[in-house]
Amino acid sequence: MSQVQQPKAITRWYLPGILSGMGLTLRKMGGNLLSYTSGQKKMPTLNYPEEKYEYSPRFKGNHVLTVKKDGSLRCTACMLCATNCPADCISIKAAESDDPSVEKYPISYEIDILRCVFCGFCEEACPVDAIRMGPEWQTPGVNGANFQYDIQHLAYRPQLKGGVVSVLDETERHKAGI
Amino acid sequence: MPKCTINGKELEVAPGTTIIQAMTRNGQEIAHYCWHDALSVAGVCRLCMVEIEGNPRVQIACNTVITEGMKVNNTSEKVKEATKWGLDFHLINHPLDCPICDQAGECGLQDQYMKYGKYDPEMAEPKVKKHKVVSLGSRVVLDTERCILCSRCVRFTDEVTKTNELGIFNRGDRAEIGTFENKPLNNNYSLNTVDICPVGALTSKDFRFRQRVWFLKTHDTICTGCSTGCNVKLYYNKEGLFRVRPNYNEAINGYWMCDEGRDVYKFVNKEARLLDAKIPGTSGQSEWVLPVTAAKKAGARLRGSGKSTALVLTAQHSVEEYEALLKFFKSDVGSDRVFAWQQNSEKNEEFDGLLLRGDKNPNTRGLQESLASAGVQTKWSELVEGLASGQIKTVVVAGPENQAAFPDLKAKILELSKAVTLICLTAGKNADLERLAGDVTLIPLKTYVEKPGTFINFKGIRQTVKKGVEVVPNSLSLIEVSELFAGRDLPASLTDVQPYVPEKKGAQIGKGRVHNESYKQRGSL
Repeated sequence: MSQVQQPKAITRWYLPGILSGMGLTLRKMGGNLLSYTSGQKKMPTLNYPEEKYEYSPRFKGNHVLTVKKDGSLRCTACMLCATNCPADCISIKAAESDDPSVEKYPISYEIDILRCVFCGFCEEACPVDAIRMGPEWQTPGVNGANFQYDIQHLAYRPQLKGGVVSVLDETERHKAGI
Repeated sequence: MPKCTINGKELEVAPGTTIIQAMTRNGQEIAHYCWHDALSVAGVCRLCMVEIEGNPRVQIACNTVITEGMKVNNTSEKVKEATKWGLDFHLINHPLDCPICDQAGECGLQDQYMKYGKYDPEMAEPKVKKHKVVSLGSRVVLDTERCILCSRCVRFTDEVTKTNELGIFNRGDRAEIGTFENKPLNNNYSLNTVDICPVGALTSKDFRFRQRVWFLKTHDTICTGCSTGCNVKLYYNKEGLFRVRPNYNEAINGYWMCDEGRDVYKFVNKEARLLDAKIPGTSGQSEWVLPVTAAKKAGARLRGSGKSTALVLTAQHSVEEYEALLKFFKSDVGSDRVFAWQQNSEKNEEFDGLLLRGDKNPNTRGLQESLASAGVQTKWSELVEGLASGQIKTVVVAGPENQAAFPDLKAKILELSKAVTLICLTAGKNADLERLAGDVTLIPLKTYVEKPGTFINFKGIRQTVKKGVEVVPNSLSLIEVSELFAGRDLPASLTDVQPYVPEKKGAQIGKGRVHNESYKQRGSL
């Protein structure tokens, strides 16, 4: 059971609290000014947008669809990501491929990025490393911007420089006889 | 009547009953692939192992007939081990590409592995590669790698359709399903092989890759493709209807249905439907309005118009709807000119020997009975004469739902368009109808999926179906149309789902023999 503590005699006074707080502020300000002028860069804040923060590789930003070595989509349209998605923001249309070893591929793969909650469940559900959460997070848009990401954007946007290659390769898997 | 004990439960069974039959009929679980209630016993999958007291080895339940005093169990450790490692042999050459496979979610191998398997594979050899994506005729695709050689499909073409297209070729681990000299599997029951295939070896070209099965809901209803009235399960989601599968009903269709009936969902989908009502406008141009408004306007013109108004009924609607519309015509319109539109009536008695009948209407008997009880005796020629002589000025048509089943549709539309006023109640959209100029009213109807109703099949079995999914929300059933025609507002109870009350003498829908609980939902195993 919690009990309300009676304030101590010293905290009833107004000035001691103010002065100790102000002291901390001035000490930090002085330290920052000194380190900035001496070029040591210990400042905890950034001059955004000139300076940008480096997030860890595990950061969950905008989605990336990976590709195979030949540049085609890795996704097999199994719809496990769409099944697992709590925000219901992934919509996939599957089609039959001419190549019998591929068999099934997505003819359309769309993510409604405004609805996405960036939970990363799609990444976790994917059995073939076809979808990843990338490092990008600054993707604003002005009026009329497209937030319905399609295959062209998810797999082949210029920032990806030709596409991210999946770690799982079907041909090697077939060769291994699994 | 031999008595036996299965898993501690005493049962009395008919002579000649096998252990697996006794178990599945009494709600007990047993692993199996090759055994199917409607097919002969093959005993090839070796999964339905049971331990029989006094017998040193486990035995297969599908090929062991129950004898007096037999004590059977399939819950001992010995049986569990046998089933588990039996499964390992099935998975030796089965590719583990469930994400691509269309059977995932309703696969016997997936389910049984989760239930009885759960081992680490101990096979070091690479998997044998076989043919993939082989087209077997116009409706079925075969993947021989995924096949576990249960031979259900082979036995189906051998015993049920007696067409013998499929066979097992080669030996050992090179054995695969195929057709002789690659002849197509084109009998009218080929999609039943897809239903009974416990894995993703046989898939339907129509349904393949269109939806994952776990996104689909089911609705038990009947097939309205012909007068047999097979019990079926419809698979749908918010995007529409996707496929039809048979439900077990011993009195009507057993486990099967024909391929023609598999297409019956297509005219229910929005693309094929009339979405709003079309009425003749004030300035000569026609305008699109809400169906309720159109029906009320048309009703005001019909009431009391007497003998100059005729009603044409197709045998595609339910008994309750006929009764409502006939009642309106007799009491409010005051006309007894009711005509039955029977397409292809010379083919009505055709029968393919299994299920499919020549009469492509679900409710021919129902229409005949309703007309007889209303005391209507007319011939189509009277309508033609009446239209030519000008005695009949207004025609109300309760048109076909399944337009593909009406080869005379265009000719009949031309014939009926001779009427001064044509009020056409139709579920599907039709370019010929929409092109008609003059005083034409089109009102969209509900299809058999969207309303409750009773259908009487060729044998006289009454089947009541429930309301399933709403595809075109504004559309009306004929009961609602006759209420609106009579100038009344729709009672709330009409739009609600009506409780399902099975008929006394009729067959019940989806109430087959009690099966293994988990498979009952799927209907394939």
